Amino acid sequence: MTIPFIKYSKVWLIISAVVAIVSVVFLAKWGLKPGIDFTGGSLLEVSFEKSRPEHDLIQKTWEDLGQKNAIIQKSGDKSLIMRTGFLTEDQHQLVLRDLRSKYAIDGNTMREDRFETIGSAVSKQLRTRALWAIILVNLGIILYIAYAFRAVSRPVASWKYGVLAIVALVHDVLLVMGVFALLGHYFGTEVDIPFVVAILTVLGYSVNDTIVVYDRVRENLIRRGSANFADVVNNGLNETLMRSINTTMKTTLPLFALFFLGGSTIHSFVLALIIGIISGAYSSIFIATPMLVLVEKWQHKSA
Amino acid sequence: MFLLNIYRMANKYNKYTQPASKNITRSQIRWRTIGAVALLMVCLVVVFPSYINSGINFVNNKANLGLPTLPSAGFNLGLDLQGGAHLIYQAKTDKIAGKDQADAVEGVRDVIERRVRGGLGVAEPLVQTTRVGEDYRIIVELPGVTDVNTAIKMIGETPVLEFKEENNEPARDLTQDEQKEMDAYNKTATAKANLALAAVKKGTDFAAVVTQYTEDAQSKNNGGDLGFIQQEVYPEIYAWAKTHQDGEVSQALIKSFDGVNIVKRVAEKDGEKKVSASHILICYIGAEGCDNAQYTKAEAKTKIEALAKTVNATNFTQTAKDNSTEPGAAQSGGDLGSFSKGQMVDEFEKAIWDAKSGTIVGPVETQFGFHLIYKKGEEVTKLYDVARVYIKTKSKTDVVPPQAQWKDTGLSGKQLSRAEVSQNYQTGDVQVAIKFNAEGTKLFADLTGRNVGKPVAIFLDGTPISSPRVNEAITTGDAVITGGFTLTEAKLLAQRLNSGALPVPVELISQQKIDASLGSDSLTKSIYAGLIGFLAVIIFMIVYYRLPGVIAVLALGLYASLSLAIFKVIGVTLTLSGIAGFILSVGMAVDANVLIFERLKEELRLRKSLRTAMEEAFIRSWPSIRDSNITTLISCVFLIWFGGGFVRGFAVTLSIGVLVSMFTAITITRTLMRFVAPWCGEFGNRLFWGYTKDKNLNIKDQI
Repeated sequence: MTIPFIKYSKVWLIISAVVAIVSVVFLAKWGLKPGIDFTGGSLLEVSFEKSRPEHDLIQKTWEDLGQKNAIIQKSGDKSLIMRTGFLTEDQHQLVLRDLRSKYAIDGNTMREDRFETIGSAVSKQLRTRALWAIILVNLGIILYIAYAFRAVSRPVASWKYGVLAIVALVHDVLLVMGVFALLGHYFGTEVDIPFVVAILTVLGYSVNDTIVVYDRVRENLIRRGSANFADVVNNGLNETLMRSINTTMKTTLPLFALFFLGGSTIHSFVLALIIGIISGAYSSIFIATPMLVLVEKWQHKSA
Repeated sequence: MFLLNIYRMANKYNKYTQPASKNITRSQIRWRTIGAVALLMVCLVVVFPSYINSGINFVNNKANLGLPTLPSAGFNLGLDLQGGAHLIYQAKTDKIAGKDQADAVEGVRDVIERRVRGGLGVAEPLVQTTRVGEDYRIIVELPGVTDVNTAIKMIGETPVLEFKEENNEPARDLTQDEQKEMDAYNKTATAKANLALAAVKKGTDFAAVVTQYTEDAQSKNNGGDLGFIQQEVYPEIYAWAKTHQDGEVSQALIKSFDGVNIVKRVAEKDGEKKVSASHILICYIGAEGCDNAQYTKAEAKTKIEALAKTVNATNFTQTAKDNSTEPGAAQSGGDLGSFSKGQMVDEFEKAIWDAKSGTIVGPVETQFGFHLIYKKGEEVTKLYDVARVYIKTKSKTDVVPPQAQWKDTGLSGKQLSRAEVSQNYQTGDVQVAIKFNAEGTKLFADLTGRNVGKPVAIFLDGTPISSPRVNEAITTGDAVITGGFTLTEAKLLAQRLNSGALPVPVELISQQKIDASLGSDSLTKSIYAGLIGFLAVIIFMIVYYRLPGVIAVLALGLYASLSLAIFKVIGVTLTLSGIAGFILSVGMAVDANVLIFERLKEELRLRKSLRTAMEEAFIRSWPSIRDSNITTLISCVFLIWFGGGFVRGFAVTLSIGVLVSMFTAITITRTLMRFVAPWCGEFGNRLFWGYTKDKNLNIKDQI
């Protein structure tokens, strides 16, 4: 039984376009909430006379105070170094009072060793270079695909495969960013360095997935000719369907386990990965390939 | 249309349409399988040497063999996964104009990061700027660095290169307005201090007075507590504390160098021991710091021994004045004042530290020459823990900056592009030729243009190293540093400059050991969760693909161990991003296997024999695997090239993972499957291979 994916191309593409536009709107309106890694913030170091409270307790205390993404490190035997978002002086005093009332009891005096404002951990250089890297990566991918798919340059020029793969990729990245813009606005979820890593992972994965589908299409085109382009493509899709679902499931199973059972510090990282990878599979089937057929149709019309 | 037909005919003969024909003998397969197993063993040994080591130790104990144990270094973990060193550097920005300070400190941050990364090879350190009041600091966190001293030395060796021009601003007094302003400020300050004093006298709780009045941000949040102070740092406060008891509060304002204080003494404890002594030095030719040497080593030794016989406590000072070769001894009588441990060279300190007071020790030989040391006495200083209310007052230097001969130009090591050793053709002197970047070239052109005919000073590590006269404006951005270097010195300097010259000097003010930033408990939970996840994947593979699934799991096991082994051998630092890269590559390795198996099912469905189907599956799925992996590799190459820090860590683990997964999927999976194939029936067995025969096979689809 062949599932008629291509028949409903327009539907998928409209859905995807809507999703992409909504994501862009979210991003434009709310933006991503940058975390301490990017904006810098405050650093508070305290030491305790007798016993130092546990990581989780302190994390919870900060959450209650509104700082969800505090980074807490034990230092030496008795000290804690905590990096949080920017604290005003009033907030600073409030935090000290709170920490003291909870933990500086029974002679366990708490001493503030340091309170500083910290700069971002990511140099500006890094940001510009990473941006360049991404642009070049996309170019490189288009070029390679153009080369690898040169055998099927009819009816669709091989470089167009590359471009469409990138389009699918852009959709995936936009989706993840849109979701995080939404989360950032309503839940205060922040974006930090692991998030950027997750985006890079999604980049790699989405293209990977799309290529596998395209490859099947290419094989079918060579074997069976390209008379009925849409049908050939559809068959190719069906053939790789099981494989796409399988691989996506296998990659996301550990991620789900991490999300529900793992530590809280990597929650947003894992979430970004899950969304991105599922979207990667989705975009290969419902965006990249239908667009391929559409492109062929347009070429046909204008020929 | 015609062309299309030719195209189709030609394609009939390409590799997609030909049946597979690969003849591999059974023995080849057998050897490859053994090879695969061996590889697995090797990898496990590399990844888990501790188990092997305990095994080896066991054997060693039992059989008295001298088998060597394997190096059991752990993985390099990043900062987020393990702790490390936490260093704080203070940037000395007092000589830079306010608005440029932040910029300069950013420059320092970049240079230090480059240094730490390259020189120490510490991947993924955390370097960030921070600000406390007016001070700029740099925090450097180094994961897994246990030898903090090497790190400190490395960073400390960063040279500070500055270019300065003559300071033509006259030293000036305060203007009338400035004087009036300063006086008014001090008046209010004193009034405020008196209010605080009144409150204290009335009996208000000291901590409350602190919170209300103090201007010392640092101690404000600790009830004004300064900790244990030293005499040198707060001499007036120390003097007061010495003569009062614990719990007492000063009833008058105590002046310190930059304000007034109300002090409360909190506690007292013993500090370090200090020794006071004088010495007679006889230095010789070749001793350190011995200019105008009068004696050879032998002569000096004789001289000091002669003096030792005649000197005693009463005539020591006179003898020193008459004989000691220490510069200034004629006036000081060799008095060294009082010093603490570590201030004198080792030989000197060892001789005198535990000696009895009032005795003369020696002759003692140090790198400076021969000494006779008279220990005048020792005392254990006391340290006092005080809390204070601090009100700032202004002095002249707060308003008018101190006069210096040279002033900054903003041109420094920050704009350095490259440094090389070169030689002056005319004089033969060894020099360091430096080239500025675009910004530096412009600044330098301006600087030289402004100062034609005048000297421009080049400062290295805070001291002027040369001050050449400018003949004409230099617009090429090339400059030369001369300073009487030897070739080795010049080479070293060029090297240091190239790995990053700081625009401002930095000073280490603190060092600590810290724990993983992700929290070790969080990590443990995550590791368990990850393992459960992988277990789920394994179960899924086996259930869905049956026998090939088992093979895939084995191949994946080998893949994981091989990757981890490579990580360990190369010394890749694993951070969260590195692990993400690894997880992604595992996903892709699984993917490769899935591609092969799905293909296999299809071929079997077409009623091909198991062997043929397998070979077909390998060949037909290879292009997909190859293309998808290559595109990922392309991304990684660029990310490694351009990215830095975490981007690079991610890309490196991903590329290694991809390469290894290509290898295992094609080689290992194939070998194992070929190995297993003969054990099953000709067309494969439904139980083992998990496919369904297609009842309504369309003959047209068979090729």
